[in-house]
Amino acid sequence: MPNAELLTPGGIQELTAALQRATPSSRLLAGGTDLIRSMHQDHWEPDLLIDLSGVRELDYVTLEDGMLGVGSMTTFAELEADPLVRRHARCLAEAAAQVGSAQIRNVATVGGNIANASPCADTVTALVALGADVRTIDGGGAIATRPLTEITVGSGRTSLAPDEAITEVSFAALGADHRTTFAKIGSRSTVTVARLSMALVVKLDVAAGTVSGVRVALGAVGEAAFRDARLEELLEGRPANAESARLFAEGCTDAVQRAIPGRYSLPYKQHAVVGLAYDAWNALGLCERCEPAWG
Amino acid sequence: MRLLLNVNGMEHELDVRPTARLIDVLRLQLGLTGVKEGCSEGECGACTVIVDDKAVDSCLVLAVQARGKKVLTVEGLADDDGLDLLQRMFIEHGAVQCGFCTPGMLMSAKALLMADPHPTEEAIRLALAGNLCRCTGYTTIVAAVRSASEQPAESSSTPPALDGAGRDV
Amino acid sequence: MTQDLQYVGQTYPVHDAPQKVTGELVYGSDIELHGMLYAKLLLSPIAHGMVTSIDSRAAEALPGVVKVFSHLNSPADVYCRARLTPEQTLCPRDETLFSEHVRFVGDRVAAVVATSQAIAEAAVALIDVQFSELPALFTPEEAQRRDDLPIHPGGNVFFEYDEECGRPGESTDAVVVGSTTSTPRIHHAALEPHVCVAQPHSTGGLTIWSISQGVYGVRTVVADLLGLEYHHVRVIKAPMGGSFGGKTEFILEPVTAYMAQKTRRPIKLLLDREECMRATMVRPATVSTIRTTCSPEGQLENMEVASVLDAGAYASSTSDYAVHMCKKITKLYRFPYYHHRSQAVYTNTPVAGAMRGWGAPEIVAALEIHMDRVAGELGMDPVELRLLNLMHPFEVDPVTEMSLGDARVRECLERGAAAFDWSARRQRSPGSGRYRRGVGVACGAHKNGMFGKFAEASNMTLKMNEDGTFELGASLHEVGCGIVTVMKVIIAEVLGVSPDLIAAGEADTSSTPFDYGTFGSRVTYVVGACAKATAEKLKEEIIAAAADLLHEPRERLTVEGGEVHVRDDGRRGVAFKDIARLSHMRHSPAITAAVTYYATSNPASYSVQFAEVEVDCATGLTAVTDFLAVGDVGQAINRGMVHAQFQGAVQMGIGYALYEHVDVDEFGRSGVDGFKNYHIVNAPDMPDIKVLLIEHSGDDGPFGAKSVGEIATVPTAPAVINAVNHALGTSLSDLPATPEKILAALNPGEVEA
Repeated sequence: MPNAELLTPGGIQELTAALQRATPSSRLLAGGTDLIRSMHQDHWEPDLLIDLSGVRELDYVTLEDGMLGVGSMTTFAELEADPLVRRHARCLAEAAAQVGSAQIRNVATVGGNIANASPCADTVTALVALGADVRTIDGGGAIATRPLTEITVGSGRTSLAPDEAITEVSFAALGADHRTTFAKIGSRSTVTVARLSMALVVKLDVAAGTVSGVRVALGAVGEAAFRDARLEELLEGRPANAESARLFAEGCTDAVQRAIPGRYSLPYKQHAVVGLAYDAWNALGLCERCEPAWG
Repeated sequence: MRLLLNVNGMEHELDVRPTARLIDVLRLQLGLTGVKEGCSEGECGACTVIVDDKAVDSCLVLAVQARGKKVLTVEGLADDDGLDLLQRMFIEHGAVQCGFCTPGMLMSAKALLMADPHPTEEAIRLALAGNLCRCTGYTTIVAAVRSASEQPAESSSTPPALDGAGRDV
Repeated sequence: MTQDLQYVGQTYPVHDAPQKVTGELVYGSDIELHGMLYAKLLLSPIAHGMVTSIDSRAAEALPGVVKVFSHLNSPADVYCRARLTPEQTLCPRDETLFSEHVRFVGDRVAAVVATSQAIAEAAVALIDVQFSELPALFTPEEAQRRDDLPIHPGGNVFFEYDEECGRPGESTDAVVVGSTTSTPRIHHAALEPHVCVAQPHSTGGLTIWSISQGVYGVRTVVADLLGLEYHHVRVIKAPMGGSFGGKTEFILEPVTAYMAQKTRRPIKLLLDREECMRATMVRPATVSTIRTTCSPEGQLENMEVASVLDAGAYASSTSDYAVHMCKKITKLYRFPYYHHRSQAVYTNTPVAGAMRGWGAPEIVAALEIHMDRVAGELGMDPVELRLLNLMHPFEVDPVTEMSLGDARVRECLERGAAAFDWSARRQRSPGSGRYRRGVGVACGAHKNGMFGKFAEASNMTLKMNEDGTFELGASLHEVGCGIVTVMKVIIAEVLGVSPDLIAAGEADTSSTPFDYGTFGSRVTYVVGACAKATAEKLKEEIIAAAADLLHEPRERLTVEGGEVHVRDDGRRGVAFKDIARLSHMRHSPAITAAVTYYATSNPASYSVQFAEVEVDCATGLTAVTDFLAVGDVGQAINRGMVHAQFQGAVQMGIGYALYEHVDVDEFGRSGVDGFKNYHIVNAPDMPDIKVLLIEHSGDDGPFGAKSVGEIATVPTAPAVINAVNHALGTSLSDLPATPEKILAALNPGEVEA
């Protein structure tokens, strides 16, 4: 098996030079937790391996003009702990905190997670709810920005070109009048791939007791995380009360049915999503803790 | 390719393949077989080492990613004065049975205590969530970590003894 | 019986804990020998078929590849991987080193031996194997029906066993209850993968480093298969990272030894986790149907059981397992009539074999779930029903016709129920909200060794060194549960010296006296008793030497605190180390004792376990929120380890109840290939397990000790299932109770399990 050629660019300039040489068999090494496992278990090597760890400019969290920018090499551990992310995009911090184990979170990156395009990627769900854009750079030095939902096109597939590297995800920072959370259901409580995940963003009008600007992203149902417009419309302008929670949960069941009709896991997921919906709703603290009604 | 690695306080100049995993370089080239391979996919944590104060699964990290960083394995915990406090507490609390998970557990615990010297029990269990054990049921391991932390233990660090011999519960 | 004990009953770390916490201990998978080659297996991708061609030229041409093995260049002799002793029965010989007729996804087709693991792996990918597929059978039901598709010559139902005792009662007011419980295949999940290292010698012999539980058994199978004389095959027990029965059978040793012999080089065959899950062994999946009659007050009358075991593609130990499943129920409950039929069936699925509990977890799961059903039918509290029927101390097990010994299961149940606050918790309503709590109880029994089946015995030597330290010669097989320490503590107690003065190593067929190995819950009870007897005999030798030195008759001498002194005359005595030193040239060059100890009984060990669970009815996820394990263990030798063994055993049982299963798809491929999709309970999900020990020392194990390691996991899963059923008002009996199954039970017709 021919050895991969390793390139370790020391900055953005060197990165574009490296990207210029990339072929469809080349790979970018971010954290490596997905790539290295795949290489070892499936016995393959890329022709070119571009190690991003030397590109220090890609590891940051900034807040500028109301936009939160997260460098693609930011690890989940960093996301979880970052005060800006906690204040202005809490669902992302919560999602990052629930990825794998501490060992994984210390190494895996948000950029790598997007590029890996697992339908179950927790932070992708949160980023979709946050309406994130992804900035990339290519071998020609061209910088492009497009919505995250245009990058993660399917299970394991992205629209990234072979010479395109993610440099940043960005989204509008949520203000103090917003509430947001991330929730997931796995096969157990920790260190589990999501079977269902949800990120919820609402703006709370405290005086009127209503929610608006509702954004709901669902993950691990279907090929990639998505926002469900019908579900968002359902909650838009509604009062922050138990009845809304109930409607929301019902709406989630419909959304899951629409997303994965005929899938083997549908019967389970359409039921379990009710629990997820209530977990997310209750985490927002909009009203008294609600429970699904039982027959 | 040539790679300089700092492992357990010592510099090593190594010849490695670019895609060599850190676990293979540590075990096979440096003879540090205390780093165990249990699953090759970052789920069991037996291969946990500390890189720049952070616990990582060495089976999921390339050796080149540790360039310029400090790597600590279980072999580097003890020093000339003796065993690390964590190692002593593991022995004392019976947290070692077959011992295969032990190096990884120690490294995860060490990284935790370096970042959080007063962890709660929940924090300890979460820090060890990526370290699987099939022998102990984790109780003695958690007790050992708690003893090693600076926080006074909330409950007795000996096995929860509802001992039947002559004593009523 | 209270005993005045100095060392027994205290808490000790395992003997090699310092080496384990420093990473110094060399496990089987760490062994590196000069000139060693590395082997990688090529496993069948299909469930059933014939290998029609193997083209390994490309593999052989790869630099670093030494040889490619397959059925084309290996003996076709059949053997049984579970055959420990030459005359062992219930060992169908149906496996070959490499299969031409592949019978499951994971069957050994070929192997590459190369100068590095990476080269061996790359070479395997270059081997072109062609198969002609045969129809495959994936369930025992299918296999039983399709006699026209025998997986092995002789038919798919390859073993049947029938146990019957007593006479059926015919009460007219008997309450009849039926149940069917299915238990899954599970993976042992020892943290160290399977490995074997074999080194040939130019004299024609072999040395094998085996992480198995019985080195003499390895020798039997390997030597017979390769036509070697036993004294030329040396098998060394290498330190292992857990086994739980998964390394009892000789899966890698025959093929590794063969390849080493043929290449004339040392070879290491190390499996990765996926290979361990697919191609070593699993706990057999079982289905047990139980039908009982009892009086309206709850007195059991007739118990009829039918068990079907899925042996997978090769028989291994499943015949023996099928027998033993029939011998557990009558250790627990007394009733006039028992009839248990069991069948072992071949399927084209992963090979089943020994796992901790040897049939007890499987049948006790069915039994204890059934008992809760009976309780429900009668409107009785589950504890009350069991108390009415449990065995009493010193009753005779009608199946084995042996005394159960000082059987304290009733006390376990009573004291456990009190400690767990059972009545109050059981009567508390689980509620009808999203989160519902329930409690469950289950009783389990297990044996202590194999007395009654064959001459259960062990052999040991113990000598005193010239400086007063001691060396034990015994074929010990440490699997991680601290048996080496147990032997040292027993010997320490007899001799009255610290266990630190006693050295004990592990088994080596060239130098340690014969012992069967670590399994069958025989180690504390039989091997430990042998250690005690050997120490007692050595004590006599020490006294004899001291008598010579002190010029006193033996009767006037007593042993205490590491010395022998004249009774009632403390001034006249001699320390052990002086005895050894002075006797060395005078009395005898070695103060030593050799003992063959024969077991004369086989009592039962018991555990009663109580679980509290909280089920999320929205997601089906279950949390175990509280747990109490009560153990009738006779006498804890290493107290802390006994507690820890229960805690670990409960981890395994919770997994069995809620998470773990190895299923195959329509092509016979296992759905699990790693810990990512095979979840064993991790630290955050593990409750604090409380342990209560009942210690009456009423049997003839060392200081009254009984087995712990297996009994500890026997009743765990049904305790959890019974708790879930209490919480939800369901009758789940299909393990594991996954979220899908729970939601299906709560929403019948809407959710498929």
